[in-house]
Amino acid sequence: MPDPQTDMASAAAQPRFEPDERFVPADERWFGLDRRTIRPTLAVFALAILMSVVLPVIDATVPYHDIVTAGDVLQLEGNVTFVPEAGWGITSGLRAGHAPLSGEYPATATVEDGAMKFTVRTGQFHGDARQLLDQIETTSEALNRGRGVRVTGAPTTVVTEQGKLGASARVTGPHTAGVIAAFVFGTRGVEAVATGPSDAGSQSTATVLRMIDSISQTGEGKR
Amino acid sequence: MTVTPAATLADLDRARDIALDLSGWGRRFSFYQPRNFAFWGYLLLVGMGFLGFVSTLARKYDAYGDAIGLAVTSFAIYAALFWWFTQHIDHYAKLPAKLMVVAFVWGGFAATGAMAANANDAILALYAKTFGQVWALNWGAGLAAPFTEEWAKGSGLLLLIAMAPRQVRTAFDGFILGAFIGLGFQIIEDVSYAMTSAGTQFGANQIGASIGTIILRMVSGVAAHILYSAIFGAGLVYLLGRPAEPRKVGRGLLLVAIPMLLHGTWDSVGAIAGPSVLKLIGLLIGAIVVALAILVQVYKATVKRERDFVRDVMAPEEARDVITPAELNAMAGNRKARKAYRKAARKGHERKRARYVLNAAYALGDELAAARGADTDRVRFARAEVARIRAGVPSPW
Repeated sequence: MPDPQTDMASAAAQPRFEPDERFVPADERWFGLDRRTIRPTLAVFALAILMSVVLPVIDATVPYHDIVTAGDVLQLEGNVTFVPEAGWGITSGLRAGHAPLSGEYPATATVEDGAMKFTVRTGQFHGDARQLLDQIETTSEALNRGRGVRVTGAPTTVVTEQGKLGASARVTGPHTAGVIAAFVFGTRGVEAVATGPSDAGSQSTATVLRMIDSISQTGEGKR
Repeated sequence: MTVTPAATLADLDRARDIALDLSGWGRRFSFYQPRNFAFWGYLLLVGMGFLGFVSTLARKYDAYGDAIGLAVTSFAIYAALFWWFTQHIDHYAKLPAKLMVVAFVWGGFAATGAMAANANDAILALYAKTFGQVWALNWGAGLAAPFTEEWAKGSGLLLLIAMAPRQVRTAFDGFILGAFIGLGFQIIEDVSYAMTSAGTQFGANQIGASIGTIILRMVSGVAAHILYSAIFGAGLVYLLGRPAEPRKVGRGLLLVAIPMLLHGTWDSVGAIAGPSVLKLIGLLIGAIVVALAILVQVYKATVKRERDFVRDVMAPEEARDVITPAELNAMAGNRKARKAYRKAARKGHERKRARYVLNAAYALGDELAAARGADTDRVRFARAEVARIRAGVPSPW
């Protein structure tokens, strides 16, 4: 408690002067900037450059070699599998029997051979293959807004080696052509998209069709 | 500064001045600082992140509009609730609201789009190339995000300190600003996750596909980015040292490492649990409990200095009989102390009045801080309000 003899007058009537928030002392200026703010900002810039430039550049320069060998099967979520062409490179996706520790395979797998690219994607879907193809077309049209790869051909029916009926259509884009196929296993939809140069030969087409034909779902997923 | 029991009023006023100088409480924050290099750095990185996010949102809106609408609305409410909660727990030397918005925006746009997202993609790809896809799926996220995301968020606090050196003075300031950076990061990341979920059923059933993600992210969000960045922010202030917070390198390193460890564990829970759902749920709950327990300890450790500032600022008011010793103790105390103060009143209306008196006393503290301890009209009015409410006189305003 205060001393009883102390003067009980209150504090000063005017706030003590403090310079404006933007004030920079004359001895802290460097080309008009507050020199004290330069080092922390440069440190943050260095971190941003490391994250947004250096790491992506390192990633781009490191080659990736995971080549499909005969007998490899790629597995996706929902026990969907397909047989990639031997010699193609796996850029994403896992081989059957090599599940991650969580036991859940990813929903997408992609294999590439030069400019040729084949991607299989899976997800829940309620409807038939033709409806799935329509849904994929609607979504990709909305995402691409007329640019990029578009479904251009009339839908046709495809049948896999497993005997599963699906729907497919041609896709085209700038200097790109390909095919899209859709299948529905119960409530599990599967989309397969193959794209490559417009002038890709018939051998590439046959390879892609073989991979589409190999799409299947193992027993567990059907339950 | 601690004042001895026999301190004179002049000593108390001096202690108040020192507390106000040290804490930065009540100082205004000006965002536009053209001579501050950090301001330009902030603008550049936030601008890049903002443009990236808006262009992604615009590109996907036609396809996933329903899910985006739901996610943005849900997370806006979530952010508002969090804002209210932060105001609720921070009774002490408050930071300017503008500074919290600046922190939020850094977390939402710069830390995500301009920094961590690019690094995450690159590191995950490098892990897959080096150790294989299976290993990358198991451990990639847990060994990428804690480094990229925590430092991307934390670097924002470094800029904020450079932009507001007179306001960001204590580890508790770092704790609060870190939480807001984390909130911004969380909200934008959640909206991005909801957009991804909306596409998992080929664009059909968007609401059904994304609602689970939205709920899960909301529930787990409290013990995720907000919490990690709050602890990291406190740690960074201890590491750097501030005028009101002496440098404590060991404590700083520990508090910087803990959220990285928690984040890594959280991202690896799926791999640690394996295919067992029960184990997964148990580990998730365990991770949340541990994280919250650590958060409470860090809060308790950092808030003490803020409470001391409140005591130093309000002690002259107690000496001048504007507030009572019990009110001073409640103001500078924790939740229990405030509750005990209110419960000391016997009747319901007296308890309610005690709560109002305490709120008016906190408002007086804010006015004193804004006036740098001077006896301005606003301060005198705030004092009169304390007296009016205590006397039970209705407000003329």
